[in-house]
Amino acid sequence: MFSLAHITQIIHDWLYSSFDPTLALIIECAIVILVAIGIFAVLGLVLVLMERKVAAHIQIRLGPNRVGPGGMFQTVADTLKLIMKEGLTPDLADKFLFNLAPFLVMIVAMLLLAPIAFAKGVQIWDINIGVLYISAVSSLSVIGILMAGWASNNKYSLLGAMRSGAQIVSYELSAGFSILTIVVLTGSLRLSDIIASQENGWWIFKGHIPVIIAFILFIIAATAETNRAPFDLAEAESELTAGFHTEYSGMRFALFFLAEYINIFIVCAIGATLFLGGWMPLHIGGWEGFNHLMDYIPSSFWFIGKTFFLIFLIMWFRWTFPRLRVDQLLNLEWKYLLPISLINLLLVTVIAIMGWYF
Amino acid sequence: MFLKDYITDVYKAVRSLLTGMKKTGYYFVHPSEIITQQYPENRHDLNLPERFRGEVVMSHDENNEHACTGCTACELACPNGTIKIITKFDITPEGKKKKAIDTFIYHLELCTMCNLCVQACPTDAIKMSQKFEHSVYDRSRLTKKLNQPGSKIREGVE
Amino acid sequence: MNAHAIIFYLISAFLLGTGILSVTTKKIFRSAIWLLFSLVGIASLYFWMEVEFVAAVQIIVYVGGIVILIIFSIFLTQQSGKEMPGPGLLRTVFSLLAVLFGAGFCCMLINEYGFTQLPGNQFSVAVADIGTQMLSTAEHGFVLPFEVVSMLLLGAMIGCIVIAMKSKEAKNKGVLENEQEAVGTVISSQQNNTL
Ligand code: SF4
Ligand code: SF4
Repeated sequence: MFSLAHITQIIHDWLYSSFDPTLALIIECAIVILVAIGIFAVLGLVLVLMERKVAAHIQIRLGPNRVGPGGMFQTVADTLKLIMKEGLTPDLADKFLFNLAPFLVMIVAMLLLAPIAFAKGVQIWDINIGVLYISAVSSLSVIGILMAGWASNNKYSLLGAMRSGAQIVSYELSAGFSILTIVVLTGSLRLSDIIASQENGWWIFKGHIPVIIAFILFIIAATAETNRAPFDLAEAESELTAGFHTEYSGMRFALFFLAEYINIFIVCAIGATLFLGGWMPLHIGGWEGFNHLMDYIPSSFWFIGKTFFLIFLIMWFRWTFPRLRVDQLLNLEWKYLLPISLINLLLVTVIAIMGWYF
Repeated sequence: MFLKDYITDVYKAVRSLLTGMKKTGYYFVHPSEIITQQYPENRHDLNLPERFRGEVVMSHDENNEHACTGCTACELACPNGTIKIITKFDITPEGKKKKAIDTFIYHLELCTMCNLCVQACPTDAIKMSQKFEHSVYDRSRLTKKLNQPGSKIREGVE
Repeated sequence: MNAHAIIFYLISAFLLGTGILSVTTKKIFRSAIWLLFSLVGIASLYFWMEVEFVAAVQIIVYVGGIVILIIFSIFLTQQSGKEMPGPGLLRTVFSLLAVLFGAGFCCMLINEYGFTQLPGNQFSVAVADIGTQMLSTAEHGFVLPFEVVSMLLLGAMIGCIVIAMKSKEAKNKGVLENEQEAVGTVISSQQNNTL
């Protein structure tokens, strides 16, 4: 049966049998980094195309349809164009920080890729505080945005950065709380444990109402944290031209753009892992035959499928809802999401203690 | 009381969001609703909506007759000065002088396709056509004469 | 010197370098960014020590919380983009003295006591253990400080709300003023129009 874990194991064994351990480790690291960069590039191309296609179909259009069959190579052409463009730096910008910011955003996105389990046994770093690591590192990405906004020496950029900062700092709370509900139910922060605990059913089914509430809160908070519409105040074309990346062009703009889509992928992957079982196939406790049947679909397909389902959901939001105003945004977080998630967490704790889940 | 308001707020918000998502979701799964036209390819079987306005034309029938009386109502109605009517005086068989149109000058480059002239015309002599491929190499070619050479007013139109 | 030690020295050099840059740079925003990098350096040192929980908390609290607050307050100050004047001679001398004193003190402590290799892995890294310890009432339990800190935070939170809260009358007055202002602008714009 097709399995990614198998392939990685073969490569691992071969490396360690033909080189000495230190060298093998270094080569392995290099391979992992290359694969990660490859994943980034492919994801960026696929997600941007998907976004444009989804947007088009929702708005009864066709979307890109000229480059390649059905417009498949549109994003490749766009990337080539961006690479060849000149990267301008504004005259009075803080040049060092201005150039550093897109790379910082990118590095943070890369670090976040580490603990994600792509398939059974395919995980770069199964860190024991997985979920906490993710929420810690993802709070770094706001620094890149603030840096870009400030260093551009442009008032639109600065306003965009401030908005984005306020937004990410406040929505981190409810994102954290909704992640905590799953941690409470599982009793572990490690992502592989969380996936293993969904052996007999995904949490969204096992945990019924409170977990569904947590899931909705998570999706809202994730949309806000990735600065996507309806929470895209940081970019808000109609008010701030392009927000924090107004002054960026060429490759550095492409990095910001790519990081946005990578972040979407990452939050959706985390949502899929926590609530929909990650690579775990659809299992229903007690139905052995059914479970075996489901196991025949490779775990990587399950993971990709769930993640892309969530990505589609987020895109659906983006092309349906109008943008929120700043005060509405903060109201939503502090008056609705936060109290609801606090009460929900309490409820989940009670359920976990009493064992009222399946 | 407060709690009740709070919950109704949340309920209403979620419901309105779901209504929106239902609509967009419907469009997403129904590609037949797509209205995009693959223009240069389907040039010959373009499916333009009825209300699309391309340019102002004057309709002539098979006898090369039109319905324009030269009343200049369209010229007055046009907000852009697109239309210029040059009138002449015909001699009717009874020997009376009668105002008639000499040239209907239409500056396509000034027209905003607002349809006001068509609405103003008392005899429905002009209408909007659906032709939209107007690009030419010389601006002067956009100034058109709408009444065909040798055409005259249809009998009975006053 | 093995790879482990090399990584340690690399991280330490990064940490010290960014730390020095953060106090010597003349632009206040850059200073905050250097501070941020130096805090990230500390977090990576924790990762190096394999106390991931502490490292994550370091990032969440210092980098994600405090530095962001600092940056926000920098954004809200005027002239945050300007080069600041350097410190005076007196200040430089005294800060150098303070640094020397600190370094000397550390050296003295290390000389006196040295580094002793503790047997085995001393860190209890399981997050569950940290949580249990935090709420344990037994000896070396942290339940009392934990509760005291929560009281402190609660107090701080209530204080914030009280500061941010508008009293009823002020609120009404504010609305009234706003309305008058709005009416005023309408009238003046009308006057402008008629003029
Ligand atoms: S459509 Fe409007 S702009 Fe064009 S000729 Fe008629 S009245 Fe003038
Ligand atoms: S086109 Fe109609 S409105 Fe214009 S001059 Fe002729 S009759 Fe009058």
